[in-house]
Amino acid sequence: MSEAYIVGAGQSPFGSFPEETYRSLFDTAFDRTLSSVDGGVDAEDIEEAFLGTLGVGGRQIGLSGPAVTEHVGLHGIPTTRVENACASSGYALRNAVATVRAGMADLVLAGGYEVMTDTSSDNTKWWLGVSGETEWERLSGTTFAGVYAQMASAHMDEHGTTVEDLSRVAVKNHANGAKNPDAHLGFECSLEDAVNAPEVADPLNLYHCCPTTDGASAVLVASEEAAFDLTDDPIRVAGVGAASGRVGLFQRPSLTSIPATRTAAERAYEMAGVGPDDLDFAEVHDCFAIAELLAYEDLGFCEPGEAGQLLREGRTDPDGELPVNTSGGLKSKGHPIGATGTGQVVEAFKQLRGKASVQTNDPVRGLTHNVGGSGGGVTVHVFERSSEVES
Amino acid sequence: MSDRGIAAAGVYVPRGRVSADEVAEAWGTFDGRGIESTAVPAGDEDAVTMAVAAARRALDDAGADPASVDAVALATTTPPLAEEELVPRLVRALGLPRETRAWHHGQSAAAGADALETALNAEGTVLAVAADAPSGDLAGDDHALGAGAAAFLVADDAPVSFDGVAAATDESPGVRFREADSDEVTSLDVTGYERAAVRETTRSAISGLDLAADDIGAASLHQPNGSMPYRIAGEGVVSNEAVAEGIVVDRIGDAGAATVPIGLVAALESDTDGPVLAAFFGSGGSAVAFAFSGRLDGDEAAAVDGGEAVSYVASLRKRGRVVDGDVAGGGANVSLPTWRRTLDSRYALTAGRCPACGALSFPGEGACDDCFERVDFERAPLSSEGTVAARTVIGQGGAPPEFVELQEREGAYGAVLVRVDAADGDGSALMPAQLTDCDPESVAVGDAVRRTVRRIYVQEGVPRYGAKFAPVE
Repeated sequence: MSEAYIVGAGQSPFGSFPEETYRSLFDTAFDRTLSSVDGGVDAEDIEEAFLGTLGVGGRQIGLSGPAVTEHVGLHGIPTTRVENACASSGYALRNAVATVRAGMADLVLAGGYEVMTDTSSDNTKWWLGVSGETEWERLSGTTFAGVYAQMASAHMDEHGTTVEDLSRVAVKNHANGAKNPDAHLGFECSLEDAVNAPEVADPLNLYHCCPTTDGASAVLVASEEAAFDLTDDPIRVAGVGAASGRVGLFQRPSLTSIPATRTAAERAYEMAGVGPDDLDFAEVHDCFAIAELLAYEDLGFCEPGEAGQLLREGRTDPDGELPVNTSGGLKSKGHPIGATGTGQVVEAFKQLRGKASVQTNDPVRGLTHNVGGSGGGVTVHVFERSSEVES
Repeated sequence: MSDRGIAAAGVYVPRGRVSADEVAEAWGTFDGRGIESTAVPAGDEDAVTMAVAAARRALDDAGADPASVDAVALATTTPPLAEEELVPRLVRALGLPRETRAWHHGQSAAAGADALETALNAEGTVLAVAADAPSGDLAGDDHALGAGAAAFLVADDAPVSFDGVAAATDESPGVRFREADSDEVTSLDVTGYERAAVRETTRSAISGLDLAADDIGAASLHQPNGSMPYRIAGEGVVSNEAVAEGIVVDRIGDAGAATVPIGLVAALESDTDGPVLAAFFGSGGSAVAFAFSGRLDGDEAAAVDGGEAVSYVASLRKRGRVVDGDVAGGGANVSLPTWRRTLDSRYALTAGRCPACGALSFPGEGACDDCFERVDFERAPLSSEGTVAARTVIGQGGAPPEFVELQEREGAYGAVLVRVDAADGDGSALMPAQLTDCDPESVAVGDAVRRTVRRIYVQEGVPRYGAKFAPVE
């Protein structure tokens, strides 16, 4: 079985671009991906594509994958649209890696796209909301923010987590995102701002929630032979983990943990032969502040209940022992549903190439963590600089 | 006479009350003589939910097994749908047998009499339920209009026996009517004519019972306002003391078809001696009077005195008088056939017990939540009370499209996960639900909550009902 490597990754700016289309945003991401390949790459060598999207507001639910690949001139290649809500492109990447490892192709594109800001807020809520458990959870009147707020309420009750702990996620991620030219909300915020923001779904306020965002991202996955033809320093996909979980929070054994994250992480760590202590940075799914705290615990960065403390002690700051969301995360960089998972890989690629806007100290290994819905589907990927690990 | 009569009763009155003073401040006048406050249904309440609540109380009061009910007679002038049988909703929500015979009465505020008489004349155990929430011209008739429901469990060998019924019918149009396709009851307001029509017709019916005025212990007389019952009772028909025992309109407003039935429960719970009288007037020109003997020892009429004050503006919001309700973006498309499959779980909170590992799954479909085996779940009834395991409050602008109208009516609402024990005490299940009848900000993880049936949302014109939870006080 072939190893799989990332040889290029790029994203469009994330933000609110009513004049752009999902195709034009993907065009930008695709261009930047091609340019990020050290030795250059001929688009004609791309053999297959997996693209994640929730459905771009309903305008192209069927066959939006080919609509994008044909648009950027990848004529005739097999293209699959992948839909796993907010984890769509995390799963697209997994499919691309599997295709390369299976030997079915040497160069595969994984990516995603979403346009969310050009429809009414009601329409947006409809599109986001139907990724929760529909028959019971949605019809109890909850939104995504509501379900994560319920998790936050349980975490606060069980572990004493505070509104300040939640707010520190925003402060850290905005500080990082402010330096990222592609971030949607590229400004800093103070702890006071974050604590006192208007309520969205108690206990979550505006600063505890990511924005709805337009954007696209892409990653080029190559077999070992193809990878070293294209670059001297490909990024090895060391671990791939994915897991499904009950779509409804009420159907899970824990309200303060996402079981699918735990399972996906175990699988990724095992495949990579590493543990959380071996990581130099992580991009985790922080659609809501509580999600980042849950990720710390479920990914094994700390014990259950200690996420707030990890954050308070600055251990996930850029100069901490395990920097998290140096891109700004979903909170600051933005969350264009389908583009988020591979968008995280763009940051991991930049970190491992030393080209990140908030660069950590010579990292060798990093992790990305992409959650669909409130935990119905999760992917975790571990990436390594192949040159560093092998030498 | 057999001992057939009223075995138990239940009263439900919505929590919200708006005072006459509040209305008078808004309009410069208050058009409800003798009314101090009117009941305001919550944004998720209607005749169906009030009927379910009152009927459940009657069944609980009697300690009656829902399976023992043979028939239901429902009276309302404000059905949520102009055409569609409503009793089946009650049957399912209350867990009554599929063989239940259903009757629906409407068309006038005397519909409560029709439901009661239907139940008394039928055989077996019959629920007679009257539930109503009329509305009218905001500048006038609406002032007096309230809401509420009463339910009677009619059976043989009952503590309250039915002693007789008498009627009088004579055309008197324009006293109280609602035009086709209108939500508002109105009248021609020809004062003298109206009073005479009500007084004379109702007195004629009462006289048919052949009761001595001095003997009547308590009476619930047609009460569109606080003074009409005394006008009917004057000149030796019924004593003022007896009339006072059955007056409820002063605190809950004119609850249409439910007012006299609620007053009848109060009269039956009074500590007076002698026959109990109920006299209904149906606009258009009919009156019906019932005589009962015996008393109920419950305290159901206490619901009339409860409640929580709301402002006049809030009362208009709750009743949907100042909300748009037109929301773009579509709702969650759970089809009605899919919804119907889950009715037992929605109303009665039935979970599934895994025959392989014994764990509970809610709603109990597919693989077991605990051992992941694909099993045929055994249906497991859950307790009607539970504990909040997780909570949030969905504020303005945060609601999914299908709940926007509710939020416009009720303001921020609570969305919680509730842990509910199995009725047999073996295990528990978690379920998502909405809070109702409370300030959602005040509800915390660990609080006790109790199930109630409310309207969840309306899609494709069809109201859908299910369980919500209210804090246990």
